Amino acid sequence: MLIIKPKVDFVVSVEAEITPDIADDLEKAKNFEVYYGKDKVKLEDLFEITKEGDDKKLVLDGDFSKVKWIGCRMEDGEIVVKGNVGANCGAYMKGGKIIIEGNADDWLGAEMSGGEIIVKGNAKNCIGCAYYGDMQGMKGGKITIEGNAINYIGEKMAGGEIEIKGNAGDFIGTEMTNGLIVIHGDCGFVGGDMKGGEIRIGGKFELMPTFKKSEEGFVGDINVGGKGVVKTL
Amino acid sequence: MHHMLHIKNGIVIDPKNGIKAEKMDIFVKEGKIVEESEIDKSQCKVIDASNKLVVAGGVDMHAHIAGSKINTGRTMRPEEMRMVRQIANKFRATVGRVLLTSPAIGYEYAKMGYTTSFEAAQPPIGALHTHEELDAIPMVDKAALPVFGNWHFVLKYVAEKDIEKLKTFIAWAIERTKGFGVKVVNPGGVEAWMYGKNCRNLDDEVPNFGITPREIITSLIKATEELNLCHSVHLHCNNLGNPGNFETTIETMKLANGFSNDKRQVLHVTHVQFNAYAGSSWRDVGSGAAEIAKYVNSVDNITIDMGAAIFGHATAMTGDAPFQFTLHKLLNARWSNKDSEIEGGAGIVPLMYLPKNPVHALQWAIGLELGLLIDSDKVVLTTDFPNGGPFTEYPYVMAMLMSKKMREKELEKVSPFVQKAANLPSIETEKSLEEVIHMTRDLPARILGLENKGHLGVGADADIAIYNLNPNEIDASNDYELINKAFRNALYTIKGGTIIVKDGQLVEEVWGTTYWVDATKNVDMKAIEDDLNEYFDLYYSIEKENYGVEEAWIKNPTRLVMG
Ligand SMILES: [Zn+2]
Repeated sequence: MLIIKPKVDFVVSVEAEITPDIADDLEKAKNFEVYYGKDKVKLEDLFEITKEGDDKKLVLDGDFSKVKWIGCRMEDGEIVVKGNVGANCGAYMKGGKIIIEGNADDWLGAEMSGGEIIVKGNAKNCIGCAYYGDMQGMKGGKITIEGNAINYIGEKMAGGEIEIKGNAGDFIGTEMTNGLIVIHGDCGFVGGDMKGGEIRIGGKFELMPTFKKSEEGFVGDINVGGKGVVKTL
Repeated sequence: MHHMLHIKNGIVIDPKNGIKAEKMDIFVKEGKIVEESEIDKSQCKVIDASNKLVVAGGVDMHAHIAGSKINTGRTMRPEEMRMVRQIANKFRATVGRVLLTSPAIGYEYAKMGYTTSFEAAQPPIGALHTHEELDAIPMVDKAALPVFGNWHFVLKYVAEKDIEKLKTFIAWAIERTKGFGVKVVNPGGVEAWMYGKNCRNLDDEVPNFGITPREIITSLIKATEELNLCHSVHLHCNNLGNPGNFETTIETMKLANGFSNDKRQVLHVTHVQFNAYAGSSWRDVGSGAAEIAKYVNSVDNITIDMGAAIFGHATAMTGDAPFQFTLHKLLNARWSNKDSEIEGGAGIVPLMYLPKNPVHALQWAIGLELGLLIDSDKVVLTTDFPNGGPFTEYPYVMAMLMSKKMREKELEKVSPFVQKAANLPSIETEKSLEEVIHMTRDLPARILGLENKGHLGVGADADIAIYNLNPNEIDASNDYELINKAFRNALYTIKGGTIIVKDGQLVEEVWGTTYWVDATKNVDMKAIEDDLNEYFDLYYSIEKENYGVEEAWIKNPTRLVMG
């Protein structure tokens, strides 16, 4: 296990594609290349790193809200963020677990295909979405937000599950083809151009006029010949 | 910095000057190739090119490198822009997978030993944008070909059979757009597209004008030849992208019968791969390359370029708006339509060529067949960047043309459909290194009418590439991997006498010139003044006085005066 603490308050964003793969070797971790703004630096230049035990785990202790791409492409192991985390956390993730005790930023779990992300606080926009221009968003795994989220949840989602215990904003499951989105609270527009998959909502929401009522709930989006289901929890 | 250069002991291939892999020295002074006696050897930088191939810099006569189409492509394909090629250092930051940013275009050409590239379709009203982008491309010389085949003035003068006014208009338009020649895209078809139609055949009528593509093409060839422009009509044929279209292509080529020019072809037919399909549907589609090759080889007034398809990512972007719509429907892919007022239109659609897809594999095969079956003095190597794929894959195409063994290996990876639908598996031809150098250097230069490009004779521009290949030792048929590798990264690229690439790495940034053609000397603008005023008044969104590009707005222009 590595414990990683920021040495300073970051003036510009840090891009650090760190995964639990670096946990086995302290030297490797210290020399891991990250970007601080436009400068390529070593992880140890920005963070204090200590090693405790041999489990495949990173504990990020402090404010990581300006640190992007944490857990990007990770395949196994565990990351615990004690504070807030920056954008693109868990992007393209294939396996393992990320627990964020504070808040998450945009693009959480974007295009992930496996593993689990749990956010104890709130998250922002584009959770489990496809990056602009790509054909598929989240394809597998699970994202749980204990608090609230904002707009664009599971755009082009093709599998896996997103659960938001609080409220969310607009554009839930846009162009979704498969998978499950559960929102316990209220949200805005749901299911635009949805082709498949299911969205369940506990509170109030706004449905597109292009959904048909059925026994299951609402089916659409009929604009694109979709068979997605929107229903109340 | 202009040095005097002495390139020593290189093995030179210079087809235009009849030099076939001879050990000789090349001398450079003030950006030109000079006689040895012109050089002060004590002042001169010596490049030891012992056992290395020395050739002229590559000339890309047809690529889409600047203007509203590639820029729309970049906008609608953010996923293309995620590949970081280079972070800012002595050179500018560059990104792009296939749709490169402007500086990346110049840098990648330079690394490959290419020193000239022409934007092949400039929407006339977008000329200023095109030149702004050309001005952002370092390293290479460049130019842009404005498109004429659907411009209302052209359609009007063709309908009125008024060649004098057509000539005057062409001269006016090329001057206003700071263009280089007469590009024609799906003549009449893009105008028909404004009414949801197309002109697939040479005798389809263009709505409201009572004329046909046949008449448009013939009139434009006649006008271009009478104006004696340095480049011929450069034609993207009707019926592009449809099974059976090879017949339209050959019929179109026959329109050049009766025209001739001492210096060059009278019709250049571009990216022929997209116009060389046999069959009647996508199920029975096949290659029409052999029939086209037979025709092109039998005449001496036609040249073509391949428009080779490369497996991987590409973006279709042409002035052929109806074809782009067909493609969008066929692929269920994103689509952007462009309209350039009364001049024509364009479309952009992302695509990817997959080796296991029967049609894509056939397209790949047809591009290569054209390169192999057509006389090396009539076919230029292109991918119609980014329509057939990236220009950075030219070395792959060069190696494929030179090695049957490489083709056999590649054929194993592609859809078996090619075995019955294409000629490629049975083609034995292997082009020589000299032929491939010709197809990428002096042939495109001759087709464009650039006398100082594509060769290493005294007086030529000192655009030179040196590769890590010894032509006297290489066996391209077997050592195709060496060919493919060597042409990707030049040992040296020299642009106008300046070393810009060394060992495949950029060493200095230079700014090439933008050529434009001035053919206004032999026409009387008064002949079309009333028509211009009327059309600008009625149909254009801008005033005639605000239309076009002034020479002073271009970073480094070169005016070529015709006649
Ligand atoms: Zn083209």
